[in-house]
Amino acid sequence: MIQVLKAMIVREIQEHKVAFVYAPFFVSIILCLVIASVYFGGTNIQTDQFNFSTEYYDEEIRQAMQSVSSVSRIDIVRTGLLVLGFPILLTVGFGLLAYSLSTFADERKDRSLIFWRSLPVSDLTTVLSKVFTVTLIVPLMVLPYIILLQLVSMTSASIFFATNDIVSFGWLWGSYIFTDWFRIIFSLWAQSLWSLPLFLWLMLAGTYAARPIAGAIVPPVILIVLEGIIFKTNLVLEFIENRIGFWSRADSFPKEYQELRVVDVSDILLLFSTQAFWIGILASVILVAGIVYVRSSNSDHAID
Amino acid sequence: MNTEVVITANNISKRYDESYALENIDIEISKGQIMGLIGPNGAGKSTFLQSVLGLLKTEGNLEVLGLDPRKDRHKLLKEVCSITDVAVLPKWMTVQQLLDYMDGVHPGFDLDKCKSILSRTNIKLHSKIKVLSRGMVVQLHLSLVMAIDAKILVLDEPTLGLDLVYRKDFYSQLIEDYYEGDKTILISTHQVEEIEGVLSDAVFMNQGRIVMKDSIESINKKYLELRPDQNYLDAAKSLNPMHQRTELGREVMLFEDIDKDKLTALGDVRPPVIADLFMAIMETTKKGGQQ
Repeated sequence: MIQVLKAMIVREIQEHKVAFVYAPFFVSIILCLVIASVYFGGTNIQTDQFNFSTEYYDEEIRQAMQSVSSVSRIDIVRTGLLVLGFPILLTVGFGLLAYSLSTFADERKDRSLIFWRSLPVSDLTTVLSKVFTVTLIVPLMVLPYIILLQLVSMTSASIFFATNDIVSFGWLWGSYIFTDWFRIIFSLWAQSLWSLPLFLWLMLAGTYAARPIAGAIVPPVILIVLEGIIFKTNLVLEFIENRIGFWSRADSFPKEYQELRVVDVSDILLLFSTQAFWIGILASVILVAGIVYVRSSNSDHAID
Repeated sequence: MNTEVVITANNISKRYDESYALENIDIEISKGQIMGLIGPNGAGKSTFLQSVLGLLKTEGNLEVLGLDPRKDRHKLLKEVCSITDVAVLPKWMTVQQLLDYMDGVHPGFDLDKCKSILSRTNIKLHSKIKVLSRGMVVQLHLSLVMAIDAKILVLDEPTLGLDLVYRKDFYSQLIEDYYEGDKTILISTHQVEEIEGVLSDAVFMNQGRIVMKDSIESINKKYLELRPDQNYLDAAKSLNPMHQRTELGREVMLFEDIDKDKLTALGDVRPPVIADLFMAIMETTKKGGQQ
């Protein structure tokens, strides 16, 4: 079973290497180059809401950096690195949405479904291999890019601070928590589980709909409208909005947890204790059953 | 011939809305048979083969290797291989990726054997499937199937759209390199004349029903085709041929269960080719139905 799942997951990655390998790789390389060029004086990034430039490191900032407590320093470094990693996460997030929508639609379109279903692999195993790809494997694949970006950022900043006599080279590294790598991967796994109903809904649309995008959008829109008219509530819309967002900022979380910060592993335990999380898992189980049923009926059309 | 039954179908039916794709099919297929399913479009050949593979839900009782194909499809497909259409291999994969995948998911797949088969072709392991010609894709698919030690092989129009050379190669490779006495092969094709030489049995199907089933050996004994000399036309007709047609200006008569010696004196006698026999039986059935 493990060998079968391994072969199937490798196939998923091979088929969708643009979304899972190339896109995050290029985004992280571009980010690394931008960050390095900013620290080495080549670039200033300034918008109405965002300044990223080395021109602002004056004496006042230098003194503030030297006097800041180690706890605050860790928080600042963590938050900064968290923000820097967002473009990679967004890229992979879009990749996962596109993957979920196309993975079962493509096999119908190119008729490879006939070949896949001629092999001794159950429909449930096929669906589970895609669930594992989304929830376990892709987050693991993203981690090296985030680490690369963090290390390039830390190294560039440290060199800049040291060569400009702002703080010593080790100032930043002393605030870099290497065990955060585990927090990141656990947080990403929690996120993929949190958003799993959305991914599975898209997969179901790809399994049954002639036009998967319409199949994914129209039924929820109808549900939202009907719910609003009949019950005067917004539960479906709120469910979707929550699942698109970060799990640690969902409505079901206490307000004090909803600020922008690096999550603790204890937050994940808190997530597991929420009703919303388990409703999502239940919805996912139902959707998996639906996909298995529809996929197994997809070849039921021969008349010759 | 081994008589161990590997496929049993009792009263199998499949209905789409008002029409039957299969209607009350009863058949037993034994180990070692190479059975051809012969019939026009819409006869129910593919529907039957898909139900054998567990891809279709049917009414009635169907057992393949003692298993219910619909319920135990996953288990069954370890012992049953199929080529149910051409050009269904995933185009985005390379040949090597496909081989690795097969090695990972199919317990009966022999990677080295497959590579050895492919080494005798023009197919390169690093090639993407989408750049292979249609013939090469079928060749690749056959190589995959030949590298699996399966008990039953289901071929549904495996050579559709291929040129003559590839079609000939396909069947000669299938028989010479793959077929052993303990394997069972089910073939559905429109190019009946090309598989006639490899079949041990034939099933004629029309409108979801089995019209006739018999071994080729028995068919060759039971049916005879006579091209009577001009002088003996009336004498031949008096023997009540089951079907009569004209071929290149010459009468051709088909007889059932007749002493060969009686015919030999009247002209050229030979067993009918399967396609002609099928057409004759279809026309006879139609006339019988109209009467």
